[in-house]
Amino acid sequence: MATELEASTKDERLERYAAVAIEVGANVEAGQNVFIGARVEHAPLARALTRAAYKAGARYVDVYYTDQHVRRAMIELGPDEALSYSPPWLIERYESMGGAAMVGTSGDPEPTLLADLDGERVGRARMKEVMQVAMRQMQERSVNWTGIAYPNEGWAEQMFGEPDVERLWEAVAFCTRLDEADPVAAWREHMARLDRRAKALNDLQLDALRYRGPGTELEIGLLERTRFCSALFRTAAGRPYTANLPTEEVFATPDARRAEGVVTSTKPLALLGEIVEKLVLTFEGGRVADVQAEKGAEVVRAQISTDENAVHLGEVALVDGESRVGKTGLTFFDTLFDENATCHIAYGMAIPEGHEGEATGEGINVSTVHTDFMVGGPEVEVDGVTADGRVVPLLREDVWQLPE
Amino acid sequence: MNRIDRYADLIIRVGANVQPGQTLFVNAMIEHTELARALTRAAYRAEARYVDVRYQDQHIRRAMIEFASDEVLQHSPSWVLERMDNLPGNAIASIAGEAEPELFADLDQERVGKARSIEVMNRALKAQNALQVNWTIAALPSPGWAEQVFGEPDMERLWEAIATTVRLDEPDPVAAWREHTDRLRRRCGALDECALDALRFRGPGTDLTVGLLPESRWIGGGIQTHDGITHVPNLPTEEVFTCPDWRRTQGTVRSTRPLALGGTIVRDLELRFEAGRAVEVKASAGAEAVQGQLHSDEWADRLGEVALVDGESRVGKTGLTFFNTLFDENATCHIAYGAAVMFSAPGLQGLEPEELRERGANVSSMHTDFMVGGPDVAVDGITRDGREIPLLREDVWQLS
Repeated sequence: MATELEASTKDERLERYAAVAIEVGANVEAGQNVFIGARVEHAPLARALTRAAYKAGARYVDVYYTDQHVRRAMIELGPDEALSYSPPWLIERYESMGGAAMVGTSGDPEPTLLADLDGERVGRARMKEVMQVAMRQMQERSVNWTGIAYPNEGWAEQMFGEPDVERLWEAVAFCTRLDEADPVAAWREHMARLDRRAKALNDLQLDALRYRGPGTELEIGLLERTRFCSALFRTAAGRPYTANLPTEEVFATPDARRAEGVVTSTKPLALLGEIVEKLVLTFEGGRVADVQAEKGAEVVRAQISTDENAVHLGEVALVDGESRVGKTGLTFFDTLFDENATCHIAYGMAIPEGHEGEATGEGINVSTVHTDFMVGGPEVEVDGVTADGRVVPLLREDVWQLPE
Repeated sequence: MNRIDRYADLIIRVGANVQPGQTLFVNAMIEHTELARALTRAAYRAEARYVDVRYQDQHIRRAMIEFASDEVLQHSPSWVLERMDNLPGNAIASIAGEAEPELFADLDQERVGKARSIEVMNRALKAQNALQVNWTIAALPSPGWAEQVFGEPDMERLWEAIATTVRLDEPDPVAAWREHTDRLRRRCGALDECALDALRFRGPGTDLTVGLLPESRWIGGGIQTHDGITHVPNLPTEEVFTCPDWRRTQGTVRSTRPLALGGTIVRDLELRFEAGRAVEVKASAGAEAVQGQLHSDEWADRLGEVALVDGESRVGKTGLTFFNTLFDENATCHIAYGAAVMFSAPGLQGLEPEELRERGANVSSMHTDFMVGGPDVAVDGITRDGREIPLLREDVWQLS
């Protein structure tokens, strides 16, 4: 009897979770098509999202499942040309997303599946043309989308050393505010607070950010067009949506030409089936000049060589110790969570919401890559520097320094 | 090699016969990951250029049937059409085997019957009928399917049954298949020599005449693409089949085995044909699902295939009902309403749909086989000059 009760409680939690993703995350509009991309292991979430989307009035829900074992077989046994092949039907799938809503799921069930393969081939195995279309959609802001994770055994094992899915679910539910009586209202309030924070940063008209901590001494230039914002985005047609669940960051587009110094990552990074640990990047004139890591440096090296601009930064993001993700004290080995635990930067493509005006132009990075890695924490101080050289403390011991 | 890899190897080498440089399209249900992954590995080992796996999920389909508006039930996503347009010159391996055979049983059966991506099916059928693609269908056991067959989720027993039917129990399955397909081809040759004008099925609840076309040719044991790639479209296969004249089906037929249609089981199906069209449908269960299919397009209620299977069939010999067409249609004689299998009328290849229909070959987006044979059903061929030739008596093949 207890197990039946437990099962129905868990089913109810999954339905609530899917409803938050559809209503707050993608904010699906009645009559919209909805595209869901999920790992095969995420089927229970994909199904719950589909039901939630139809209940929200979606016209048609298209679910595309990917399988890392199929990808592994391609990297291991396929010809070279297969690695970067973009099937025309998948290009068409992204092309047809204009005006639709999209949900992507994360939560790697087998995080080390590709670890024993040739790292160089793993790094090259990307559907470049498909990515380009996806990024164009992003820049045209024609899709209301969100990312959400599905707790599973492999992921829990990686985090806790045992497949304690329930413990992971509780952490995920806390981070996504499912523990609140009215999660949708809680999310609205939270996003309003992040938007106020972004406005305070924009009022300072910063010219650069400085990071200081163990193994880190980095200055990143900002543009006049740089605008801090939360993940509460709007489509070109004006529909608001929350691009990540959870989200705790305010982020902006840096000047891709101005990054100087060294930065050491403060959390492991799960990248293309491998775990990158203690990543140390040296920047010179805005470019990554050197890549070191205790583990996984090769994947990063391969990734930043996929196109000519992948070596430049495309995002800076600030997160303080109030973050629910940070408060769990966990490393999730999943960017969706870990980037919301602490400050991070990303090499590769700039996100259009992080700057004013055109999606491209001087100092705005354009690339098919976008990889966030974590650089913040209690030991890392973050300052803003104004155009006239004034230094404004932003974070000390993970505490937000600007008035709220 | 373990069983799943041996099976995948057979599907890739004998079934689809994937050639170096081809793209392999794998169509699977989400419960079929084990075989889809093994097929991917086997195909790359056979030097496939690229393997594209599309997983479908009956629960997603269920949500659509339950919640979506009528207008999208037959929606064909543009990217899936684009995928179909890339079939010519390439290979397909589809995996059958329902994990939850009764998943749609409580839904509105008319909507279940209507919920098909018609345009997608049409393009797939077109590439197959035009012999532009080497393809195969094979099945993977699942607990839900085993439960349906045995009343308990005995996966191992289902695996063993399937392994016998696809000759995985032979020391050299590839050689065993060569011998088997040669035998089916000889049978086709003998039937073609008879130059039949019609077939007649007689048994309990059945007295049916199915007219054939002058262009009808018997096919069995595999086919060749235009590029000369021999492939075996169904694993297992025990049938020889041909294209009927859709205008000349007359009489009644009683199905001799249950029929699994999507998530619905049709039992004791009886159809009455008048001048080629199914005019009456009866069944003790699932009649609405058949009605839904027969009305899903204007031409779905006419026959497109007639097939003969004798008692030597390895599927028939298991004595099982698999509730899966891939197997059950190979246990015994069957007919199909819906699209004609065009490669069984090579003389009509390349004609437009209107011309095909005018010449007596059916064109539809539907193709559903149902079983009409068995030891109690006698099958005769009728030649153009009215001579009757016994073809099957008590499940024994009568031609030399």
